[in-house]
Amino acid sequence: MAMLNMVLKADDLSKRYEDGVLALDHLNLGVRPGEVYCLLGANGAGKTTTINLFLNFIPPTTGTCYIKGIDVTKDPLEAKKYVSFVSENVMLYGNFTARQNLEFFAKLGGKTNLAKEQYYQVMRRVSLQEKAFEQRVKTYSKGMRQKLGISIAIIKDAPAILLDEPTSGLDPKAAEEFLEILTELKSEGKAILMSTHDIFRAKEIGDRVGIMKEGRLVMERTREDLQFEDLVKIYIDYMKSEPLTA
Amino acid sequence: MRDGLDHRQEINRMLKTIVRKELQENLYSYRFPLFAIICILLVPLGLYVNNLNYIKSVRDYNEQMRLADEAVASIQMQDVMAGKIAIKGFRPPALLSVFSQGFEGALPRFYEFTPDGYTPGESSSGEASILSVQGKIDFVFLIQMVLSLVGLLFASDVIAGEKESGTLRAMLSNSLPRDTILVGKITGGYLALWFPFIIAFLLGIVLLLVRAFPLFVGDTLARVLSVFLAASLFILIYFAIGSMISSSSSKTRTSLIVILLVWVSFQLVIPRVSDMAADVIYPIRTETQVSLEKSILAKSIDTETSRELGRRYVLIYGNEGSPGRGDKTTPEDVKWDAVKKEIESNARERKAQQVKQIDDAYGREKRIRQNIATNLSLFSPSAAFARLLADVCGTGEIARRKYGEAIKDHAQALDTALFSRAKRTIIALPGGKTSLSFSIQPIDVKALPKFTIAPTSLAEAFKEDWASLLSLAFWLIAPFAAAYVRFLRYDVR
Repeated sequence: MAMLNMVLKADDLSKRYEDGVLALDHLNLGVRPGEVYCLLGANGAGKTTTINLFLNFIPPTTGTCYIKGIDVTKDPLEAKKYVSFVSENVMLYGNFTARQNLEFFAKLGGKTNLAKEQYYQVMRRVSLQEKAFEQRVKTYSKGMRQKLGISIAIIKDAPAILLDEPTSGLDPKAAEEFLEILTELKSEGKAILMSTHDIFRAKEIGDRVGIMKEGRLVMERTREDLQFEDLVKIYIDYMKSEPLTA
Repeated sequence: MRDGLDHRQEINRMLKTIVRKELQENLYSYRFPLFAIICILLVPLGLYVNNLNYIKSVRDYNEQMRLADEAVASIQMQDVMAGKIAIKGFRPPALLSVFSQGFEGALPRFYEFTPDGYTPGESSSGEASILSVQGKIDFVFLIQMVLSLVGLLFASDVIAGEKESGTLRAMLSNSLPRDTILVGKITGGYLALWFPFIIAFLLGIVLLLVRAFPLFVGDTLARVLSVFLAASLFILIYFAIGSMISSSSSKTRTSLIVILLVWVSFQLVIPRVSDMAADVIYPIRTETQVSLEKSILAKSIDTETSRELGRRYVLIYGNEGSPGRGDKTTPEDVKWDAVKKEIESNARERKAQQVKQIDDAYGREKRIRQNIATNLSLFSPSAAFARLLADVCGTGEIARRKYGEAIKDHAQALDTALFSRAKRTIIALPGGKTSLSFSIQPIDVKALPKFTIAPTSLAEAFKEDWASLLSLAFWLIAPFAAAYVRFLRYDVR
């Protein structure tokens, strides 16, 4: 696979925690502009560790993460200018309104002097109800929080987006709406790396799908490959197979 | 160069964003109005009530001084000789006891001076209710007990709360240095505490000015400003300690438990244990023991003097004794007067010297014990703060010491100017008989010394309390440094 033009790139990335657990084992992957890469895997497979490494929340044991060619460990502040992050439970300031939350994170993302209307536009884009714009976030449902989370990612307008199980716990309609927004972002050229348990959504939105097991990327398929293969069966087969390590 | 400048500007912009967010978040929280109400009610109320007490004390003091002056003006030497006269020396109330009560309520309001020495009068806390044993509410108490706890509680979730709610991950997914987050959060959180405090303080000052508080007389304004600055610093210290604990915990609950333990240690345990430890490390005699020692010494010297006078009397006048002085003074009388004067003078000097030795030794013991207790207590920023403010307000250790010095000086001055002029001589004759004689010299009551206590300047207070200042500086810098180091390594997952 050509690693050139990758916005997100993991190069021989490994992570062993202080307690000796090997969470990630020589991972190599890359996400191009306008591409959605879905990481599938059971709990503890290393999906969230991969995202944590890209965000420099933890240092790698070996290997390197690159965002737009910038080594995340060496220059984390510069690298993080080009990435947005949406977590499983979008955590926001409950006593702030949606607009206030958006404004705060937009400013941290380097977007200053935006007018109120510009924040409203972004919230409209993710189909957040108008009346909720100036409502305190603590009254929000999970779906609404996810929408606000993605609007924070949109307003930062970074070329890469990291999503950590963003559809987990969403009802089907909310999940569908969420994927529609991702499709739009993809069409705008964003490189999206999404960790998920949701095989169906991964097949639906992913340009490439990787399956992780015990910290290793054990399989990778393109959208084209999956037209002729049953992703569910592949996934279950891998999960049932013998452990990789003794 | 340009990039460096842009980067700095970018960091400053982010810092402002975090400070503003922190202020807003605190403003919207339920705890902020609660704190503001407590602050705005208690601080001005405390100042107002203590000012009323001060005004009352001044009125009492003036009245007592008037009565004492009248008593002095009508002094009869025979009363002095009969020990019926006690000259009172009153301690003037400290103006800034309005802010810090310190020893104000505990020290005797006056001392009574008699030819036999001096005894303390009642303390002003003598009229207080039983509730006063729990500590009087003054400005220092409010800052030390209430605002310190509020500062710690506000800081308890500075880092741990952001981690728990997941917003720390969201913040750190941006191009934001960790130290900027820490500084921004501490600054914003502290300002959220400081603003209600300033409002409460200013309200209190306005109330005092309405009650004709002499804020602009002498160095009062400088002292009040020092109190304000020290209080602001003290709140910041506790906020920094809370932030340090918060950045060392992953959960607000853990942080809260540690915070409460720290608060109890600093406020209650360390100051009390320091005093107890000083008693164990350096036990000293009690005041009663020392008084008894002095009294035994005085009696022993008096007895010796009487015997010596008796012996010399017999040597001069023979066993028959003096026939009594008529119009003519005999050579024996002249000799006896000279001998008596010399013996009495020697005895007085000896007594004064030995009493002074006992007093000095006891003073040294007390000072050493006090220094041990004070230095140990300085491990607590609260103890350092209370000590410093009491001295700045003229109600602390320095004021107590100067009061003690003033009493000794006044006793000596009164002895020279008054008590030594009315002498009672007891002669113990060798046969076992005793003879009592009196001598009185005229006194000028207008020339009697006035009881005064040397004032303490603000610079003197700061100079003497360098250890407290050092303790406060340590408690300001160390928690910030520890919070910084902890947060740089903080696991945000």
